[in-house]
Amino acid sequence: MTFEVLLNQVIGETLTVSICRFGPELIVSATILVLLLNRLFGIDRWVAPYWTTLIGCMIALGYATNQYLLLQQGTLPAGEYFTGLMMFDGFTVFLRIFLLLFLILVTVLTVLSGIPDLEDGPDFYTLLLGSTIGMMIMSGANHLLMLFIGIEMTSVPSYAMVGFLKGRRQSSEAALKYVVYGAGAAGVMLYGISLIAGMLGTGDMPLIAERIGQLTGTASNFESPLVRTLMLAIVMVFVGLSFKLSLVPFHFWCPDAFEGASAEVAGYLSVASKAAAFGLLIRFCLALTGTIEGAASSPIYLFLGLAIGFVAMVTATFGNLAAYAQTNVKRLLAYSTIAHAGYMLMAVAAMMVLLNAPSGAGLTSFERQELAAKSIEGLLFYLVVYLFMNLGAFAIVALIRNEIYSEEISDYKGLARQTPVLCVCMVICLVSLIGIPPMAGFFGKLFVFASVFQSAKVHWAMWVVFLVGAINTVFSLYYYLQVLKTMFLDERPEGARTIDIPLNPSGWYVIFVTAPLLLLILCTEQLTQTARTVAAGLFL
Amino acid sequence: MLLADASVSSLGNTLAILLGIACLLPLCGFLIEIFAGYWSDRLSKTPALMAVGCIGGGFACSLLALILWGNATCWTALKADEHGAAHHSVRDDSAETQLALADEELHADEHSSAGADDHHAFHPEVEHHVASEEGHDDHAAEGLVPAHAVFSGTIYRLAKFGNLDITVDYYIDSLTLVMFVMVTFIATCIHIFAIGYMSEELTHEYVDHAVHMSDGHHLHRPGRFYRFFAYMSLFCFSMLGLVYSGSIFLVFVFWELVGICSYLLIGFYVERKSANVAANKAFIMNRVGDFGFLIGLMILWTSFGTFRFAEEIDDHGQAHAGLFHMVRGDKGLMRVSSETGDVVMWGEHEETLLDENDQPRTIPYYLLVIAGLGIFAGCVGKSAQFPLQTWLPDAMEGPTPVSALVHSATMVAAGVYLAGRFFPMFTTDVLLVIAYTGCITLFVAATIAIVATDIKRVLAYSTISQLGYMMLAIGVGGWGAGLFHLITHAFFKSLMFLASGSVIFGCHHEQEMPKMGGLWRKMPITALTMLVGVIAIAGLAIPVTIMGARIAFSGYHSKDAIVATALAFTEANSMHFLLFLTPLVTAGITAFYMFRLWFYTFAGDPRDKHVYDHAHETPKVMTIPLLVLSLFAAGCAIGGEEGVLYRLLSNSEPVGVAAGRMSGAGGISLPSHEAIHLVHAQAGTWALIVAVLGAFLAYVFYGARWVNPTEVGQSFPRLYRFLVEKWQFDALYDAMFVRPVRIIAGWFVVFDRVVLDGFLHAAASSVVHISKWDRRFDESIIDGFVNLMASVTFGIGRSFKKVQTGMLRQYITFIALGVLALFVLMLSFFPN
Repeated sequence: MTFEVLLNQVIGETLTVSICRFGPELIVSATILVLLLNRLFGIDRWVAPYWTTLIGCMIALGYATNQYLLLQQGTLPAGEYFTGLMMFDGFTVFLRIFLLLFLILVTVLTVLSGIPDLEDGPDFYTLLLGSTIGMMIMSGANHLLMLFIGIEMTSVPSYAMVGFLKGRRQSSEAALKYVVYGAGAAGVMLYGISLIAGMLGTGDMPLIAERIGQLTGTASNFESPLVRTLMLAIVMVFVGLSFKLSLVPFHFWCPDAFEGASAEVAGYLSVASKAAAFGLLIRFCLALTGTIEGAASSPIYLFLGLAIGFVAMVTATFGNLAAYAQTNVKRLLAYSTIAHAGYMLMAVAAMMVLLNAPSGAGLTSFERQELAAKSIEGLLFYLVVYLFMNLGAFAIVALIRNEIYSEEISDYKGLARQTPVLCVCMVICLVSLIGIPPMAGFFGKLFVFASVFQSAKVHWAMWVVFLVGAINTVFSLYYYLQVLKTMFLDERPEGARTIDIPLNPSGWYVIFVTAPLLLLILCTEQLTQTARTVAAGLFL
Repeated sequence: MLLADASVSSLGNTLAILLGIACLLPLCGFLIEIFAGYWSDRLSKTPALMAVGCIGGGFACSLLALILWGNATCWTALKADEHGAAHHSVRDDSAETQLALADEELHADEHSSAGADDHHAFHPEVEHHVASEEGHDDHAAEGLVPAHAVFSGTIYRLAKFGNLDITVDYYIDSLTLVMFVMVTFIATCIHIFAIGYMSEELTHEYVDHAVHMSDGHHLHRPGRFYRFFAYMSLFCFSMLGLVYSGSIFLVFVFWELVGICSYLLIGFYVERKSANVAANKAFIMNRVGDFGFLIGLMILWTSFGTFRFAEEIDDHGQAHAGLFHMVRGDKGLMRVSSETGDVVMWGEHEETLLDENDQPRTIPYYLLVIAGLGIFAGCVGKSAQFPLQTWLPDAMEGPTPVSALVHSATMVAAGVYLAGRFFPMFTTDVLLVIAYTGCITLFVAATIAIVATDIKRVLAYSTISQLGYMMLAIGVGGWGAGLFHLITHAFFKSLMFLASGSVIFGCHHEQEMPKMGGLWRKMPITALTMLVGVIAIAGLAIPVTIMGARIAFSGYHSKDAIVATALAFTEANSMHFLLFLTPLVTAGITAFYMFRLWFYTFAGDPRDKHVYDHAHETPKVMTIPLLVLSLFAAGCAIGGEEGVLYRLLSNSEPVGVAAGRMSGAGGISLPSHEAIHLVHAQAGTWALIVAVLGAFLAYVFYGARWVNPTEVGQSFPRLYRFLVEKWQFDALYDAMFVRPVRIIAGWFVVFDRVVLDGFLHAAASSVVHISKWDRRFDESIIDGFVNLMASVTFGIGRSFKKVQTGMLRQYITFIALGVLALFVLMLSFFPN
């Protein structure tokens, strides 16, 4: 095969297949170009940057939705593209839709809350869109290289966004910490990637499992130095992902960055980058185990699952307990984000444990896949719910900040009398974060814990994870209710700034974001159905 | 065949949509109007106009539905030859039927006859999605929809619990259509009338002269104009929904909605104690009946497993028979097994319905009777029949348009309607109970009406009495006659209520007839329209026949039909002669008290100068509905049983009614149409004579005033008191239920105070003592533990905060340490 033939083949594939599958990302990229050109020619004086952003996102969302529908019909088959660098399947498209929808909601929020102003608009939205492209790449990465590029593409604009409140010392400091910490984590991860790629001779994720099998042969314990090195490499890649997921002990950047960044950015980071990172984590885990058609599952990966469960447990506990002593709402929500990452990580742990259940557990390979898919389904459901409750909480924080110029919990005293709409929505969001039944958050937790419960039948250690998770729900009551208590039961001190958010667009926005938490009960079935098909698609 | 099916199906859908809109419009109206306080002020008439628009739109839809239905059936329903002839050729093929059914075990009371009739030619309950069976071809060839066709279907499934399928079904036949047109039309007239009548509520400061405050002043309150119309709209929705419903369960839902609306409307003047009490009374009395209704529902559900009237097609395309079909089959026959005495159910295709064990599905005969009685108990409550009739006169506390809408034309009609709709489920025994209930009611109420002096109360008692007539008619097998009277009565009674409302409005809320008199000079239109109503209800006619029909107002025809049925029934069952005599005599009483009312109010010299001087004719918005209604009260039944209205109704007549039911020794037989037709002229003559006598007597007493009624009353003081005390029903119920309940309640109070409270107090004080100890335990040990836990967790949390130093160098170190720690942990824990 000559180079020319190869080249033609690549070009042909790119033009026919890949470009089309990469459509949403390209549309978002084009939006960035339009934004910058508008700025260059001064068109942004007439067309506000957020309109450009919104329209671009809408088109991309429509395209992605269309992709999803075509995928369901089977007209657009799932498969690799860009010579195997990227993966196109239901999971990718689901996360694309999720991210774009969220991007639209965040953009609307920024319009309502007035950050950024018109002058900074193009810059801000360029960063926002850029990092979203990175996340979409993360969700579709099929190669270790893309894994790294996706994470970095997400991170670099995030650093700038955190420091976007120019002139605020805290903001700049937070951004700096975020950058340096991110660089450190990325370095470790890159080292891990290079170890894996070097040992296995490939970075192609679908090949990893097979190559590992060839490499380690029958050696399935740590006696073998190969396995040991491999494990070290995997841990290092996990570190990179843990940084994005703000898992303990790689969470240090999170409270500082959230406190320094504006609430809008914090809300964006807390949801979008988590979702993308979870998508990537699942892909990486599945790449390690490979498709296990009838093959005996490896005890190494079972153990890896337990280790993930341990990290999840520690993260949830740490996040909840550390939130106790917080006085700043954004910092509190940062720890709450950490805790929720812990809950969601439990689903990944459950997936790994179930997928690699020893043959003694009495599960056929088909059942194992089925149960693992169920874990992913629960995680996806949780993510969707989490989008609304966390965005709702951050949006309310942002809107209140615009009125009282404070994000300290103590300044929230008695707000319920002045802005009942926001406060009631805050109740719904926080109660949903706690996971109390009528709210959607409960169902998210229920599904995740259900799969942990399933995995506990495979290995006893997951019982511990399950129990700690349940107890953590109780822990989390305290600090959420503390906020609500301040808002509803305390008197507004004399001379405090008054706040007046009636049912203006901001109020309606908050209601719109909060309403799904109550209404999701009605369509739980449809959402789980979608999540199920998406999750099942990963094992095809 | 296909053509016919398609047209049946599309017609059914169209009708369902049209009537559904007619039903939902008032609901939309209600939802908007009830918030009128927010979007409008109390002086605005917009809510009223909206209500009128909604119900008027409903009327337009209903009328359109009727016309579409008529066109689709080519108005075969109205063609004389088919039905007129059918009545006379009933029993020809009954022998054949008997042969065909010879292998079935038939119950004694169904045994000897119950033949095929004209309806036999058609599948009587053709669902629009069921291929219609044999005998259809003559119509099918023309692409016609048979006039007997029943359109039923499911709109929405509310819930499914196991086998219990609760759905929103509709059931449309000619009765439904006629009821819709009638209800919406009368309601529209009443709504318009109410705009005038309730106009005093269009104020911020309404003074209620009937309420005396403790400081001696009258009550001042904001006007509630919009609320009145909102309730009226809700009421219309409930009533229409009730007629629309295709399952007994849904009927019950709307039944209760009707009940709550009447509660709201009767108690519209909440501040008046009397209105309050009346609303409660109406509600509680209705609950008594509904208790029976619920029992009936439970029996139906456990025995039949469905609530639907008509067939249902399930998801697998299989048809399941509805209630009526299960009991009566295609030919209106109820099969009773001679061994066990159980009623055997019919399947969808005339086979015996089998249960899971392939045994015939049956229901014990007595259970069917109880179910029927239970449902009828509901009807008794709603239609104010003996012994639950006492609420209706009190319900006159509501504004007069309410009385007209709720307590003459529609709500009380619901009971009769249901009795008619549910007719196939009633066994002969139940029908006899219905007949006697109606008989007692009509007589009792009529006698009370003789002495009542409140103009609205006279009408109220006359309503009860007329409802008794309808029940009687249904009970003696005169299905068509009963519902015929229901419709005609709705027209003339709503007319009279509105006319009385006009009088009350014109006389500034004077309701006592002894203070009126001679009012026709002041309010001629009201007097004239009232006279039309009075003649209609009294059943007067000119005994001349023109073009085969007597010249008479509507009431004559329908009452005639009832009396004729009763006579035919009595001829077949001579021991129940009272069922004919009582209505006959009461026809005279009816004429008497109705003319008494008219003479009292409008004729002669004024009795009270003050009232007379201030009386005035009411504005046009009130008189025009009166005039319109009087036209219909006079003419809606033109042609009698050969007329349009009766023919329309008779298309919905359950199968087998026309042929009557013959019984062997000891049983009850129901007259066939033929038998009724034979005695029709005779019964009509008697009824007319009696009515004329009654009217003449009224003229003697109150018109010409040759005899002073007071003296007559004083010569029979006991009887007079007895009647004025309404047969002492209120006293009786007071003694039987209210006072015993109070006494027992008193005992309970004592028991409560002494025993329960004593025990509770003792328990409480001991609990206090224990809890004091507990508190110490709690505070020191439990709280200590919890606080310890809390401070530990809090302390941990706080210490976590210390880790977050904010030092970047430290953070980076933690990355390296973290990787190392994780790896070491994994290495050390990995099981080899």
